[in-house]
Amino acid sequence: MSAYTEGIITLLMINAIAAMGVCLLTGFTGVFTLGHAAYMALGGYATAILTVKYHLHWLPAVVAGGILAIVVAYVIGIPTLKLMGDYYAIASIGLGEAIRLILENWQSVTRGARGYPGIPTFTTMPVAVGFFLVLAFLLFCLLHGSYGRMFKACRDDHIAAALLGYDTARVRVLSLVLSAFYCGVSGGLLAGFLSFIQPVMFDMLKSTELTAVVVFGGLGSLSGCLLGTTIITLVTELFRPISQYRMLIYGAVLVIIMVLRPEGIMGQYEFGPKLFRKLFGRKAPAQERR
Amino acid sequence: MGTLLQQIINGLSLGSVYALIAVGYSLVYSILLFSNFAHGSFLVIGGYSCYFALKTLGMNIWLAGGLSLIAAGVSAILTERLAYKPIRERTNVTLYLLIASMGMSIVIENIFVVTVGGRFRALPPVIPTDPVNLFGLATTSAFDLISLVVAVICLGGLQLFLTRTKWGLAIRAAAYNLRIAGLMGVNVSRLISLVFFVAGVLAAVGGIFLSVRYTLYPQLGGITIKAFVAAVIGGLGSLPGAVVGSLILGLAEMLTAGFISSQLRDLVVFSLLVITLLFRPTGLFGKSVGEKI
Amino acid sequence: MAFALELGGVNKFFGGVHAVNDMSFILQEGELAGLIGPNGAGKTTIFNLVTGVYDVSSGHITLFGEDITNHKTYEVVRKGIARTFQNLRLFASATVLENVMTACQQHHRYSFLEACTHLGRWRSVEREIRDRSMTLLERVGLADRADQTATTLPYGHQRRLEIARALALEPRLLLLDEPAAGMNPEEVQDLNRLIQKIHADFGLTILVIEHHMELVMEICPHIVCMNFGALIAEGDPEHIQGHPEVLKAYLGEEVEE
Repeated sequence: MSAYTEGIITLLMINAIAAMGVCLLTGFTGVFTLGHAAYMALGGYATAILTVKYHLHWLPAVVAGGILAIVVAYVIGIPTLKLMGDYYAIASIGLGEAIRLILENWQSVTRGARGYPGIPTFTTMPVAVGFFLVLAFLLFCLLHGSYGRMFKACRDDHIAAALLGYDTARVRVLSLVLSAFYCGVSGGLLAGFLSFIQPVMFDMLKSTELTAVVVFGGLGSLSGCLLGTTIITLVTELFRPISQYRMLIYGAVLVIIMVLRPEGIMGQYEFGPKLFRKLFGRKAPAQERR
Repeated sequence: MGTLLQQIINGLSLGSVYALIAVGYSLVYSILLFSNFAHGSFLVIGGYSCYFALKTLGMNIWLAGGLSLIAAGVSAILTERLAYKPIRERTNVTLYLLIASMGMSIVIENIFVVTVGGRFRALPPVIPTDPVNLFGLATTSAFDLISLVVAVICLGGLQLFLTRTKWGLAIRAAAYNLRIAGLMGVNVSRLISLVFFVAGVLAAVGGIFLSVRYTLYPQLGGITIKAFVAAVIGGLGSLPGAVVGSLILGLAEMLTAGFISSQLRDLVVFSLLVITLLFRPTGLFGKSVGEKI
Repeated sequence: MAFALELGGVNKFFGGVHAVNDMSFILQEGELAGLIGPNGAGKTTIFNLVTGVYDVSSGHITLFGEDITNHKTYEVVRKGIARTFQNLRLFASATVLENVMTACQQHHRYSFLEACTHLGRWRSVEREIRDRSMTLLERVGLADRADQTATTLPYGHQRRLEIARALALEPRLLLLDEPAAGMNPEEVQDLNRLIQKIHADFGLTILVIEHHMELVMEICPHIVCMNFGALIAEGDPEHIQGHPEVLKAYLGEEVEE
C-alpha cells in the first residue's frame, strides 16, 4: 500500500472518530453544535504539549486530551444544555471561537498562531484504525440498548422523555461529554499524524464540516455518518485542485439535502438486514416472540 | 478622559452597526424560531452591490446605497423561498432550517469567492472619515458619528414600522404565534418574505458601514457571529435585547482595544457570551419559552 | 393515613390569567377518579402542575404523603406518577416496542460499562426489558404491532400505546389525559373495559380527564368537576349529574353534552 493511500486512510479514521462524536450528540440526542472543532483543538494541543514538553508517552497523552475535552464540555454543558433550541448552537460557536482565540493568544504555552511543531508522529495507520475500531465498537454497543433509547427519546420529545423520568438536561450533558471525548481523541491523533498543529485548523469551518458530515450521512445513523465522512474526506482529497468550487458544491449539497432528503443519505437506517428489507420493499417480518 | 470618551463613541458606533445586523437576525428568529446563519451573507451582498454600483456603474452613494439595500433584501427573500420555504412546508424541525441556512451561507460566500475573487477591496471614499472635534472634549471620526446616526435612524424607522403599520402589527402577532396569526387571516408567506426583506435591508446597511470600516471580502459575513452573540446576550428573539446586547458588545470591544490590547477584543466578546450563558442563560431580555402540552 | 394525591389551595397564573383558582381535592389510594369540566377549564393544567411541567403559583401538592410541590418533572415521575397526553407524545422515530422499552428500562438497569461493551448483565437485562414490554403490549392488545413505527398506528392504538408506556413505569398514580378523544363509541367501550381492568389488575390509583361524560359516569365512582380553573362540584356520578353548577357549566358551554 502506498504511503499516500495509508495517509488517506489514517486521515479518514481520524475524521470518522470526530464525526462519531458529533453523530452521538447531533444525530442521536438532537443537540446541534457548531463548535466541536474546539474539542479537537483541546485534544490536539493537550497531546502536543504533553508529548513534546513533558515527554509523556503518546497513548496516555491522547487519552488525557480526551479527558480535557470532557472537563471543558461538562463545564460549558451544565448551564447551556438546560435550555432547548439554538442556545447551545450559538454558545458552541462562542465557545469554539473563544478556545481558538485563547490558543492563539496564550503564546507561552501554545506558541500562538504560528502553530505547534515537532510533535512525534505516532499516528500510523494501524494506530488510527485500532482507535477507530475500539471507539466505533463502544459507541455501537452504547447506542444499541438503554442508553441509545434514552438519547433518542430526549431527541424525539424532551417533554415526554422527562415524563418517563429522564433528567433530559443531564442526558444531553452526558451525550455532549462523550462526544467531546471522541473529538478530543481525534484531535490528539491528528496532532500525532501531522506532527504540527495550528489554531486555525480548528476554526468554525472545521466545526461546520463535522456537523455537515453527520447531517449528510443521516441524523441518527452511525453507519450513515461513517459513509458521510468517507465521501467528504475522499471528495476533499479529489477536489483539492479546485478547492473554491469544492466549498460552493459542499454548501449547495447541504441545502439540497435539507430540501430534498433532510433525513440524510441513510435516514435512520443502519447497514444491515433492516435496510436490506426496506430497499427491496418486503414488509419486515414480525419479530419472533418468546 | 478624552480617549475614554472617544472610545465610548467608537464603541457605540460599532455597537449600533452590530445592532442593525442583530435586530434583523433576531426578527427572523422571533418569527421562525431558527438561527439564520445565512444572515451574514445578506451583509456581504449589500457590501458588494454597493461596491460595484459605485465603481462599475459610477453611481453616487445614495443611489448605490439604495440599490444595495434592495439587492440584499431581495436576495434575502430569494434565500427564504429557495431554501427555507420547502423545508418549512414539510416539517417543523427547525434543525433542518438551521443546517440549510449554514449551507446557504457557505454557498453565497463561495459564489463571491469564485466570481469576484477572495481579495480585499476598499470601498471608494464615499463616507467622510475626517476627524471631528467634539466641543474640545474628544476627537472622533466623522465616519463613526455618521454610522451611529444612520443606525439610530434605521432602528427608529423599524420601531415605527413595527408599531404604527398594519404589517408591523402582523409581524408582532406572528412573533407571538405564527400559526395563530395565519389562522387570523395574515398571509403568512408574504409576511415571512417581508420579514426577510427587512432583515436583508438592515444587514446591508450594516454591511456598507462594515466594509468601509474593515474593507470588503467574501468572508466579511463571518462578523455576523458577533451580532449573533449580541442577540443571545440580549435574549434571542427580543429586539430591544438585540440592540442593548450589540451596544454592550461594541463598547466592550472598543474599550478592550483602546485600553488593554486589540488582540484580546474578540476574546472579550466570547467571554461575555459564555458569562451571560452561565449566569443568565436566557439573556438580558429573554423570555423563557413555554410549550403547549 | 396518606392520600394518593392531595391538592391544597393550588393557584396558577399565566401572566394575568388565573388558570387555576384555589383548587383542592383528595384522591384516596386505589381510587378510580374522573376530572371533568368544559374546554379550557384548566384540567390539563392540573396535570401539568402535578407532574411538575409547570410550577404552581401558590398552594401545595402531595403524593402519598410526600410533598412534590414544584419538584422537577423527572423527580415527580420517579416518585411514582405516570401520565398520558391529550395531544399524543409518542417517540416518533421509535417502534411501538421501543416506545414501551424506553419507559420500562427505568426499572431494569445495567451499568455504563456494561452498556458500551454488551458484557455482563446486558443480555439478560435487555431480555427482561423486552419481555416485560411485550407483556404490556399484549395487555393493551398491540403485541402484533410491536415492530411498527409508533406514529404509523391508527389514532386509537396510539392512545393505547401511551397507556402501555405509562404502565411500564410501574406507577402508583396514573393520570390519563382524555384517553378517549377522537374514538368512536365502540372504541370508547373497549377503552372503558381496559381502564377498569388495569385499575383492578395493577392496584393503581387512576385519575382520568375526560370529555365523554358517559365514560366518566360509567367507570368513575369519584368525580371532580371544574370550570374556569375552580372546583365547582365533587362527588359520585349521581351527585354530579344532578348538580346545577355542572349542568350550567356544560349547557352554557357545549350543546352536545
